Amino acid sequence: MMRSSALSLALGYIALGMMALVLFAAPLWYAWHVTIQDGRSEILQADAQRLADIYRRDGGDGLKSFIDTRVHMQIANDRILLLTDSSLHPLAGNLPAWPRQLLAMPGNYRIKVDVGEHGGQQSLVHVARLGQYFLLVGRDNKLFAPLERRFWYGLSAAVAVLSIAGLLVGLITRRAFMLRIHSIRQTVSAIIHGDLKHRLPTHLSGDELNTLARTINGMLDQIELLVHGVRNVSNSIAHDLRTPLAELRSRLEELAFMRPAPERTFAEIDAAVADVDRVIHIFDALLRLAEIDAGMRRSGFVPLDLAELAATAVEFYAPAAELKHIELRFHAEGPLPAAGDPILLAQALSNLIDNALKYAPEQGVVDVAVRRRADGAAEIAVSDNGPGIADSEKSKVLERFHRGDASRGTPGVGLGLSLVQAIAKLHGSTLELSDRSPGLIVVIVLPVGERRAEPRGAEGSAEAPPAPLPATGSAAAR
Amino acid sequence: MKILLVEDNERMSQFVIKGLQEAGHITDHAANGRDGMFLAASEPYDVIIMDRMLPGGIDGLAIIEVLRKAGTLTPILILSALAEVDDRIRGLRSGGDDYLTKPFAFGELLARLDALHRRSQGVNREAPLIVGNLQLDPLTRKVWRGDRQISLQPREFKLLEYLMRHADQVVTRTMLLENVWDYHFDPQTNVVDVHISKLRQKIDAEFERPLLRTVRNAGYMVTARD
Repeated sequence: MMRSSALSLALGYIALGMMALVLFAAPLWYAWHVTIQDGRSEILQADAQRLADIYRRDGGDGLKSFIDTRVHMQIANDRILLLTDSSLHPLAGNLPAWPRQLLAMPGNYRIKVDVGEHGGQQSLVHVARLGQYFLLVGRDNKLFAPLERRFWYGLSAAVAVLSIAGLLVGLITRRAFMLRIHSIRQTVSAIIHGDLKHRLPTHLSGDELNTLARTINGMLDQIELLVHGVRNVSNSIAHDLRTPLAELRSRLEELAFMRPAPERTFAEIDAAVADVDRVIHIFDALLRLAEIDAGMRRSGFVPLDLAELAATAVEFYAPAAELKHIELRFHAEGPLPAAGDPILLAQALSNLIDNALKYAPEQGVVDVAVRRRADGAAEIAVSDNGPGIADSEKSKVLERFHRGDASRGTPGVGLGLSLVQAIAKLHGSTLELSDRSPGLIVVIVLPVGERRAEPRGAEGSAEAPPAPLPATGSAAAR
Repeated sequence: MKILLVEDNERMSQFVIKGLQEAGHITDHAANGRDGMFLAASEPYDVIIMDRMLPGGIDGLAIIEVLRKAGTLTPILILSALAEVDDRIRGLRSGGDDYLTKPFAFGELLARLDALHRRSQGVNREAPLIVGNLQLDPLTRKVWRGDRQISLQPREFKLLEYLMRHADQVVTRTMLLENVWDYHFDPQTNVVDVHISKLRQKIDAEFERPLLRTVRNAGYMVTARD
């Protein structure tokens, strides 16, 4: 298909060139032709005038001998000369007889004359009457033939050059096309073979192929994201669901094998159900992660009050904090409107507070603050005074199923923070972890008001350093 | 209660029917959408349990929409393996009254059916709720146990109100999360239990007869029965 499109492109170029050439050459040819024609008849008239002058001066015989001399001496043998009497009998000249098809009337004619070597040529002749004589003067086209030939040669050369140039341009275009198509094809086949990292080459120019390549690259980005999500989920399932499933399996197997007393059997069954619930929970968390990653939840964005959402979460965890003798403090400066998914944001807040309560020591402190930043973005910060996270660990804790050293022995599946991160990303933000020394501060920044958060591109807004928590002031939720 | 179960999976159906029977309910079963629609339109049921993915590629939601357009007011609980938040919203928007994802605990299903049934009986939202000598007035927002007034935080009041509206019924943790806090996710930790024990401190601690009880492996119940 490429072959034919390149060829038709070349042919198109050539046809276009030809048309331009014809448009250019035709008027030129016409002008040139008319000029030559005029020139010829002027020359003829001048010739005739000269002969008429001789006739007037020397009479018919004088003219006859003048013509005879000229023919005899072969002066200007490109000329046709004939002098006849009134009944058209030749008296002198180089024509054997008056041309049959020519009328004996004064004027210019274009006739075919047989004159010696260059016989049978179209010639322009002039007929004049001088007393009882008829004079025929003509010139053959020999004089202008080379010029005409040169014109046609020139034209042919132009046509040839044009054709070759057209073909060359066609071939070069095709080659350039084929080169880019080839690189696209190579990239695509690499992708077909499973390497989604490849992208089509793009240039700075905005031509159609480049625009197409950019669009395709955008599509590939999204596909890679989705595939990555799916791959992550399946990896995680393989990795993390096997363990509880294996436990469950051996528990049931042991039960069937040991056949213990009914009370123990029931206890074991309860434990087995709890195992299954754990599996289901991991499964749900994974599905939700994948769902968020795919950006499908953006449809759930509504205007909401972050302060209220946070207040509810703080209030929800207050009794649990009390139980652990942790001071759970809430800082808000009135309503804080933002756009987001209330269910997911509530879950993110809940996960963060849950984590903070998990790591804060007995008699410790957990602060939840929502505030408007100077740039207008809304900020949620949850901090505890627990062991915190070492800098080297900070990026790792966001990985799925990663559980920090401090978390060993505490319940959880290691998906909490990655879920929060995914939710933050969906809201056009990133999760920032920083030190409270001691302790950890986690900050999510949300774009302002009604503006829709973009999953990518808006991340820049989260790059500002996290503002420290307000030291005092609080609207206690308890 | 008379219940219609529209579900094509045989084992699942048997499990649900048996469970409902043990709980004292009568269950009709339809294994496909057409039978389900026919039964739902012709027989009076207290609650309908509708599976989402039915044989022949029929979506239970389409059946619900048809039933609702035909004027059926029977409460419908949607049972589905589709667990995404959007699926849930779509389910409720189509005319379903509650949404439960598979796999589920049977206790959860039973509790939700009871709640749906009670809700459909058109209770007076303003009448005081009374369980034993515990009294809650939704209008004045006052709570009395015997002749002693109990002061509750707003959320505690909401929690108790929900429990008392479903008195003598099991209320699961998930139901409390959804209805009291509007939380549609599982916070994993036993936070709800902590709230319940705080509430119990206030309404039961100094009384001989506890009204707020824990139902093992299921949830909680406010009841004056023995």
